[in-house]
Amino acid sequence: MADTMTPTPGSGEQPEEPTNRPPALHRLRDWLQRRYVRHVLIITVVIGFILLPLCWLIVAAMNQTGAPASVVMEDIEQTVFVFTLVSIPITAFVFAVLVYSLFGWKGKSGDTPPNEDNPAIRNNLVAVITWSVVTSALAAFLVVWGLMELASITNNSFGTQPANGQVKQEDVLVVNVTGQQWVWTFEYPQYDKYQSDVLYLAKDRPVLFNVTSKDVVHNFWAVELGVKIDANPGAVTQTGVTPNKEGIFNVRCAELCGLHHAYMETQIRVMEPDTFNSWMRENGGGKTS
Amino acid sequence: MSTATATIYSVEVPQPKQHGKPGGIMRRLNFFTGLAGGVILAAVFGFLMNIQFAPGAQTADFASASAGPTFWAIMVGWVLGFMGGMGAFVGPIRWVMGRDLTHADAEFMAGKDQGKFRYWRFTTDHKVVGIQYLIMAMVILGFGGLLAMLIRTELGVTWAEVFNPDFYNSLVGTHGIAMIIAMIIVVSGPVGNFIIPLMCGARDMAFPRLNALSIWLLVCAVPPLILSLLVGGIRDGWSVYQPLNSQAGPGMIGYQTTIIVFAVSTAIASVNIMTTILTMRAKGMTWSRTPISIYGVFAAAAMGLYAFPFYQYSQILSMTDRLINTSFFDPVEGGSVWLYENLFWLLGHPEVYVILIPSTAIILELIPVFMRKPLFSYYMAIAGIVGVVGLSGLVWAHHMYMTGWAPQANYPFMLSTEMISIPVGFLVLVIIGTMWRGTFWSRLPMMAVFAVVFNKMIGGVTGIYLSDVPADQYFHGSMFVTAHFHYMLMGVALFGAMGGVAYYFPKWTGRYLDERMGSIGFWLAFIGFQITFGSMFVAGLQGQPRRVLQFDNLFNISNWISTIGAYTIGIAMLIFLGAIISSWRHGEMAPSNPWQAQTLDWQTATPVPLDNFPVLPVVKGLPYDYGVPDPLAPEKVEARLREEYEKAGTP
Repeated sequence: MADTMTPTPGSGEQPEEPTNRPPALHRLRDWLQRRYVRHVLIITVVIGFILLPLCWLIVAAMNQTGAPASVVMEDIEQTVFVFTLVSIPITAFVFAVLVYSLFGWKGKSGDTPPNEDNPAIRNNLVAVITWSVVTSALAAFLVVWGLMELASITNNSFGTQPANGQVKQEDVLVVNVTGQQWVWTFEYPQYDKYQSDVLYLAKDRPVLFNVTSKDVVHNFWAVELGVKIDANPGAVTQTGVTPNKEGIFNVRCAELCGLHHAYMETQIRVMEPDTFNSWMRENGGGKTS
Repeated sequence: MSTATATIYSVEVPQPKQHGKPGGIMRRLNFFTGLAGGVILAAVFGFLMNIQFAPGAQTADFASASAGPTFWAIMVGWVLGFMGGMGAFVGPIRWVMGRDLTHADAEFMAGKDQGKFRYWRFTTDHKVVGIQYLIMAMVILGFGGLLAMLIRTELGVTWAEVFNPDFYNSLVGTHGIAMIIAMIIVVSGPVGNFIIPLMCGARDMAFPRLNALSIWLLVCAVPPLILSLLVGGIRDGWSVYQPLNSQAGPGMIGYQTTIIVFAVSTAIASVNIMTTILTMRAKGMTWSRTPISIYGVFAAAAMGLYAFPFYQYSQILSMTDRLINTSFFDPVEGGSVWLYENLFWLLGHPEVYVILIPSTAIILELIPVFMRKPLFSYYMAIAGIVGVVGLSGLVWAHHMYMTGWAPQANYPFMLSTEMISIPVGFLVLVIIGTMWRGTFWSRLPMMAVFAVVFNKMIGGVTGIYLSDVPADQYFHGSMFVTAHFHYMLMGVALFGAMGGVAYYFPKWTGRYLDERMGSIGFWLAFIGFQITFGSMFVAGLQGQPRRVLQFDNLFNISNWISTIGAYTIGIAMLIFLGAIISSWRHGEMAPSNPWQAQTLDWQTATPVPLDNFPVLPVVKGLPYDYGVPDPLAPEKVEARLREEYEKAGTP
């Protein structure tokens, strides 16, 4: 019987012969046939499906002002979508255990512990290993996904590359972004250093931002384009993007920069390349590239 | 040298000569003499410095901080005067004079037979210090919570500016740093000082006088923080990034003083807690028999010990930048703002775990008691804590993904940051594993477990977005970040601490925490919390930056909802506070071990006698020996299955 299965020390009894050991699948099936296991799994699935719309709702919330307006932003939203999707099963399972503990296994109040007959489960190797493997695999997936997306975004935004090589492409629009308390200034060196406090961009034309600050740390955040980089005094940081959607978008400062930080925002106007060029001719003069 | 001896635990110990009554000058010193000393010395120092550097006497490039030296002198005067008036320097002075403390002096300083007034003194008894920490934490939480209400009022009133931007910014910064300080001490203070020595089976902390020093340094650090609101405040967020920091008014000196003093206090407390745990655990309490909350508090102390010096350096360097025109962080003079950011976040991230890990450990400690089951996979819990501690020092630059400091470093920091989800996942498994297949004892501390796990999942998953560079490119500096760290620091750490307060209340005060009122406060706070920060996530997703007081109409609705939730939290916290105060004064009396727990802290009388245990205990096993043999244990299931399998006719 069950008691005899625990070998007494010194009995010298050999463990069971392998042929008699029920396959792991049988043990799994037996486990799955328990009432609470089935209930927890059903609740997991239900909660999972309740949470599932979040994948789309989150992206919808991000898209309220016209995003995505660039490939970078599309990558960001895809990442958020995938991360939400991957997180849901494990979140749903943990929530299901909480729910089942509250309403299935239940609790009792009282001045003395009413539940002294709970099973003393000190450990369960299978559970520990399964959990570790699953969470590590998920984390590994997220890391790999993140690294690949980061490489892709870096590629799409000039990222860490020295700009020199890139700017040789005649096509790239260079914008020098300067933050100061509490306005943004955009300078177009290719257009006679035309200066503006509104960011004009051409659709489908790559743009390189050289970002700096005159006083304190600001953060240049082109919201719908998915561009964000600090504007540091005494240093130039670079990033870039290719807007692929016409429209009016937002620039905000995302780093507390003093008194009127809240008002340090401006517009982005993404236009057709022809419109952009004629706009620049009229306002900034200079060559069109 | 002398013939005097004292009998300490039936051992004759030679004593130095007793000068006067036991306690000597310490009999006359208390909080109020400290207050007087601090104010007087601050006034004297400020006056002298004002003669030396009258306002307007500075050079042109010094002008923005013309009040700096005077304020600095006031701060130094306050710290020295307060600590001197408290009697913090009496011990060393007596030692130098060759009049070291006798046993009678030490007993006086431990507050023997002094009644309630010992809470106002430089008392070395760890139980007194623990209660002092608890009160201090609640005072600072109340202050920070009040500021939070004002912030939410401003953000809820979307059609006007309630406060001017200057005051709003100082509300944000002061709320941030006050809450950080409060959350760091709210578990490590009262539990670390009151409970941990009991749990170890020790008679006191390893260094009782340092223990008193750490709490009074903390008390000393708080007034500059609060009073800085009067002289321009901390307008730059709690992170006070340079060079914005150097533009701020003299309130910034208050902040820097607070941090420098608080870092000393933390270092002292950390060393004390670590030494106590390492050397003073009861006989037989090996590392595999040590309760999990001792691991948790030890981990927090260890992280605090290496993290806080960075913070202190950053503030000392900021202060010299301000006062004597050094240029560590001034890019015009060749300094670097990235240096500040690195120093700050080298503290900043371990500090998050200094807050989180003790709270989680308390949850792990109380869940076996209320589930009446052993802690599931004790070694996994240790692995989780050790893993978090190990990784905590390697992830700081994920706060700097978007700073342009080192874009190439984003790859390794993303890797290390996302790895943290694995040990944190271990801790979640331990909690749900302990819940598995057990009915729970439905009391307030157990309720905290449900709240904490729920919040931890939300805070953890949103943390995964932020750890990822591409997603962080959208979320960095937005309200999404604010909501995320409130889920971790408030949702996990504060709700865990509230559970811990309910759990340890009978040991601290001899009375039960009023279950009904406490539960109403707790769950109302939980609901308000979900409303506030749930809708703050939405604001962040829509693209609202942090720390703004006006914003697009797009964000109005989520901010209104958030404000309603915040007021709910405010009311709920007042109810919870009311429960604490009323229970403390006339709650139901509790026996010495009301939860029938097995850890050593519950095995001593309540109120705890001065030397804790009449006879030092000996430990024989893990203190989680609850429940009955499991009828569904894997080996029994396998035996049954094998029988069925054999019956089914295999050869």
